[in-house]
Amino acid sequence: MRLAADTGGTFTDLVVERGETVRLYKASTTPQDPAEGILNAITLAARDAECSTRAFLSEAEVFIHGTTRAINAILTGSTARTALLATRGHPDMLLLREGGRTDAFNWTYGYPDPYIPRALTFEIDERVGSQGEVVRALDEQATLAVLDRLAEVEAEAVAVCLLWSIANPVHELALGRMIAERLPGVPYTLSHALNPTLREYRRASCAAIDASLKPLMTAYLRGLEDRLHEHGFGGRLLMVTSSGGVVDADDMAAAPIHSVNSGPAMAPIAGRHYAALDGQSENAVVADTGGTSYDVALVRRGRIPVTRETWLGLEYEGHITGFPAVDVRSVGAGGGSIAWIDSGGLLHVGPQSAGADPGPVCYGRGGAAPTVTDAAVALGYIDPEYFLGGEMALDADASRRAIAAQVAAPLRLGESEAAAAIMAVATERMIQSIEEITVNQGVDPRTAVLIGGGGAAGLNAVAIARRLGSPRVVIPQAGAVLSARGALMSDLMSEFATAFFTGSDRFGHEEAQRLLDELRERCLRFAEQAAPGVEPQIEYIAEARYRHQVWQLDVLLADGRLDTQQALDRLIEEFHTVHEDVYAVRDERAVLEIVNLRARVTCPLGGGAQDPVALEAVGEDEPSRRVYFPRTGAVDAAIWRLEAMTTGRSVTGPAIVESSFTTVVLNPGARAERSASGSLVIVPGSEDAAAAGIGSGEAVSGG
Amino acid sequence: MSVERPRDVVALAVMTNRMEGVVRKMTNTLFRTARSSLLNTARDFSCCICTADHDLLVMAESLPIHVMRGPDLMCAWLAQCHPRPTRGDAFLHNSPYRGNSHAGDHCVLVPVLDDQGSWRATAVVKAHMADIGNAEPTTMTATARDVYEEGALIFDCMKVQEDYRDVEDVIRMCKTRIRVPEDWYGDYMGMIGAARVGERELARVGEEVGWDAFDHYVEDWLDYSEERIRATIRKLPAGRRAGSEMHDAIPLPGVEEGVEIKALVTVDPQAAEIEIDLRENPDCLPCGINLTESTAATSALIGVFNSIDHTVPRNSGSARAIKVLLRENCCVGIPVHPASCSLATTGLAERLGAIVQRTLAEFEDGMGMAAPGPECPPATSSLSGRDPRHGGAPFVDMMILGNSGGAAHARGDGWVTNGETSDGGSMMRDSTEVLELLRPIRVWSDMIVTDTGGAGRFRGAPSLYVEYGPVDTDLEVMYAADGTVNPALGARGGEPGALLRPFMRRADGEVIQLDPWGHVILRPGETIISISSGGGGYGPPHERDAEHVRHDVTEGWVSSERARAVYGVELADDGSVEQAATAALRSEIAAGGVERPAGDDSVLRLIAPGERLWPTAPSGGD
Repeated sequence: MRLAADTGGTFTDLVVERGETVRLYKASTTPQDPAEGILNAITLAARDAECSTRAFLSEAEVFIHGTTRAINAILTGSTARTALLATRGHPDMLLLREGGRTDAFNWTYGYPDPYIPRALTFEIDERVGSQGEVVRALDEQATLAVLDRLAEVEAEAVAVCLLWSIANPVHELALGRMIAERLPGVPYTLSHALNPTLREYRRASCAAIDASLKPLMTAYLRGLEDRLHEHGFGGRLLMVTSSGGVVDADDMAAAPIHSVNSGPAMAPIAGRHYAALDGQSENAVVADTGGTSYDVALVRRGRIPVTRETWLGLEYEGHITGFPAVDVRSVGAGGGSIAWIDSGGLLHVGPQSAGADPGPVCYGRGGAAPTVTDAAVALGYIDPEYFLGGEMALDADASRRAIAAQVAAPLRLGESEAAAAIMAVATERMIQSIEEITVNQGVDPRTAVLIGGGGAAGLNAVAIARRLGSPRVVIPQAGAVLSARGALMSDLMSEFATAFFTGSDRFGHEEAQRLLDELRERCLRFAEQAAPGVEPQIEYIAEARYRHQVWQLDVLLADGRLDTQQALDRLIEEFHTVHEDVYAVRDERAVLEIVNLRARVTCPLGGGAQDPVALEAVGEDEPSRRVYFPRTGAVDAAIWRLEAMTTGRSVTGPAIVESSFTTVVLNPGARAERSASGSLVIVPGSEDAAAAGIGSGEAVSGG
Repeated sequence: MSVERPRDVVALAVMTNRMEGVVRKMTNTLFRTARSSLLNTARDFSCCICTADHDLLVMAESLPIHVMRGPDLMCAWLAQCHPRPTRGDAFLHNSPYRGNSHAGDHCVLVPVLDDQGSWRATAVVKAHMADIGNAEPTTMTATARDVYEEGALIFDCMKVQEDYRDVEDVIRMCKTRIRVPEDWYGDYMGMIGAARVGERELARVGEEVGWDAFDHYVEDWLDYSEERIRATIRKLPAGRRAGSEMHDAIPLPGVEEGVEIKALVTVDPQAAEIEIDLRENPDCLPCGINLTESTAATSALIGVFNSIDHTVPRNSGSARAIKVLLRENCCVGIPVHPASCSLATTGLAERLGAIVQRTLAEFEDGMGMAAPGPECPPATSSLSGRDPRHGGAPFVDMMILGNSGGAAHARGDGWVTNGETSDGGSMMRDSTEVLELLRPIRVWSDMIVTDTGGAGRFRGAPSLYVEYGPVDTDLEVMYAADGTVNPALGARGGEPGALLRPFMRRADGEVIQLDPWGHVILRPGETIISISSGGGGYGPPHERDAEHVRHDVTEGWVSSERARAVYGVELADDGSVEQAATAALRSEIAAGGVERPAGDDSVLRLIAPGERLWPTAPSGGD
């Protein structure tokens, strides 16, 4: 048996894989002691399995855990008191960042603080040059004095980022030794070891964030492991990472930056699975809707693209993690996003959110501002009697009143028109976030299946798919717990990198092959330790660009070889193709520069179990209710229970398909069918076709 | 003419998000593919969309100085030069006399046509090139007496693509004249790519919603923007105030005493209008600092938009409520050929924006901003030479590090990486490692300087100290700095920021002062020391929250001596605020009774020989 628990802001999701079946559980998150929420969810599962928690846990071989612990600590400023050691003359890397601002005219706030205060930043007398040459030797005496000063200021962790440590780490390594000696027990992070990447700010920021999380994540993971053991767990504790894999808890404690933003990294793993299974596509847009945000990730030719541009807080003004992480764009448009009108009469949705508390007006918990959820209730999309399977009754009249007063009246619209306008604006914001990531990663959305995860995904998935031209929408049965479901499908993963700066005009084949072989050795060593007996998969990546460009693209090296001219020619051709994919142009005349070589090792952990298709005996009667669509106005729409839909049964819009955790709106012209895996698969069709009485001729499921 | 038509509020909201998305896609294309660090790291370029009537529709995250006024003028001029463009055409334009900012900004204009061949919109890309084939390897020459001496090739709406293919005659001409032509061509390709992405996306919009609906949206959006700004102006206090600033001297006849410029600012809440009158200013000057019609008007607009509700959209609609009065043949007006406008996006542009926002600050507490630190210190030089690591291959580029500090405003301290107010801090800065990788230089220092931000209730951003020099080669450095004599002034009792100071460290360690308009060839072992100017403060310093002063001292922004003398804050040995002593000191300062000690020079202390790292010639060896 394998378990995956995802601790979110509101809920702790648990997915249990037992043999061939998968079951889902939800418990409230307990922020003071997150282990409590996890154990509560486990208790639910144990009860379901009709055994004690101890007996249940003792059966588990693997426990995979995702947590927002690290990101929360950063947001609330409760990380360790961390010092930064920087090359002399460059103490302000974290203050100056890379420049830039999100809004040139917004003078409502001052300049943001650096991640580590200047008062805890110390200059080290040393300098290495861009070719790795030691320009100025490390002044060890002065450095020892700095380390003594760190003890005086009671630094709890130390980040080290020296210029060009990626070209020659000799001084960073020396500092590491001296810290270990002089400040025993104080955790530290060396920038070149953690993230050997060009651009000193990114390395410094990455090292600073990592070091600041070490004390707390070590304590958290140790505590969790102890609690699970107390309750009978004797298996392996794995943690999900921001790059979409899992690592042993000890490895996470050693580099906790991997935990930051690991939350949204799992949904695309599940998305990839359902895209292939139900959408017959290697390309997917994976959307995860929450209460306050809409997270979008991609699957491109079966792979999940990563980015090094993840910021904590605002782009340019927050703190970059600098680490290759699953590329996820977030836009403040979720079920709780508030609709408001500015002084000129323009309708906005978000980024302000009513969150879970007080929540939308219809929750009746004191929320007064109309939200996207209120619009969905007013339009008849959400059944107020059957929200979360009827666990929570919604006040539809309150939603309508709030929309009428705060949106319809000032805009001089009808109440339903106003609600539809709120949905339209929220939809457009989501589309923009999808377009931004697809254009950045060079994916044509017309070739991609849209995977809707999260409880609110189905409200406008058809509308989004139509605008993007997506051929299919898939709403997985486990959509509401997509992250935890993804965690169970993820693999043990590690990545190794080495700086290798060269040009295609002066390429050293032997050197390149030597470095690739070294990377391969490191991957194999990792695999032997982490997953003995499992056949590891190793992928080799060259980071390349045209000469004088500064932003690299990842190019896959099919067989991990660069020892011949043919191998290099393949790399060059592949680069031109990727460049054209992403930026619409290729420059055959330019020299190619290679900056880094990386290898990613993956050890599969199984995870092949299928979702159950629970077939409840629900009558075949087709109830209906009045539902409003922008083009048609209010119409009678058939209401289907997802659980009651048998495989292959097709439903045509206007209709609503609902389950206890989601509501899917089928606009007129859309057609849906339940797949063998339990997902709802939708061909979005078009309103025009519906108006003309033409069904979308295409079969819903290809298999 | 137009029929009364209800405003489609849903389309307005939805299309606005979509149009910003189009501009972001254009921006991303150029940023990721460009070859010069000026574009691919510092992001010194802009993308925007103009309408069929040549109004600015959307600028998204573009640099304000590039686009608020100018793209509209250029598009209108394009329509006069080429009234019937066809699909596949693209035009290269950089004329400072016809709507462009300065010749160093190359623009690519692509008309977007519908299926009937009607001109529906224009995709505009403007990028500051590292080189444009001028007489000297820089695009910013303060000392050029006219455009001939500046030596800029002027492209006046020249067709550069036909049927989506380059007009090779133009490309060959550029490649013959522009230094390091392959890099220029790489950047040009990125611009074409960006403009074509804009064209494709706009065509999709036209196809999906229909061009008439698009025109309705345009009309509604510009009207909405105008209503927003008028509603904002109605709430402002009425009045008319004059302001002025002094630009530093330039060693040429007629400008050797410096240049004073003035603006008369009128706020009329009843008419819901703001007027900036710039006509009472000197004629075009015999040097490179003249503004263009685009940058004169834009600088005034920036001063206004910096001072009002930032959520008002910036486009031709909101600009209707701001009247900027310009005159022909004026150094802050409409230049007349052959006046040189080589520095039209920095020197006087910064001063002009500063006048407007400082003057608006005097209308009411809580409004306006101080002056930003004048530009451009030698940390923003044009660099050229030959790279010994690449067989002596020539290079020309412009570095963007350690630019001047931002102005304090009514709600916060100055933006440290502001650079210039004309871009509101949106420009990026270089990375030391990327610079050292791309060019044979070493950056020895990149840090803030204590006690250099203009004191105030909100503090101006400090100066940045950058020191750099060549590695195993000679390095030609050109810069054009304002602010070595006239600092960034404060607003509402805020104090000026520190002066900009260019130095050079000789191989023997001696530090010497450099000219503000510098052209230096560094030998191995020599370095440039660039001290940028600090931003001006807002409000009296003794009104600054004492806790903020304490934080400034702890963090090294302000010395404890200055905290006491200027801010009136006494700190105890443990760093905490001595409340009683501080209150007493502050009332004394408010009454004007405290004399300030001379204080030492934090800059000279920082750069003194032996204090910081500096190369012992020959550099780079081990």
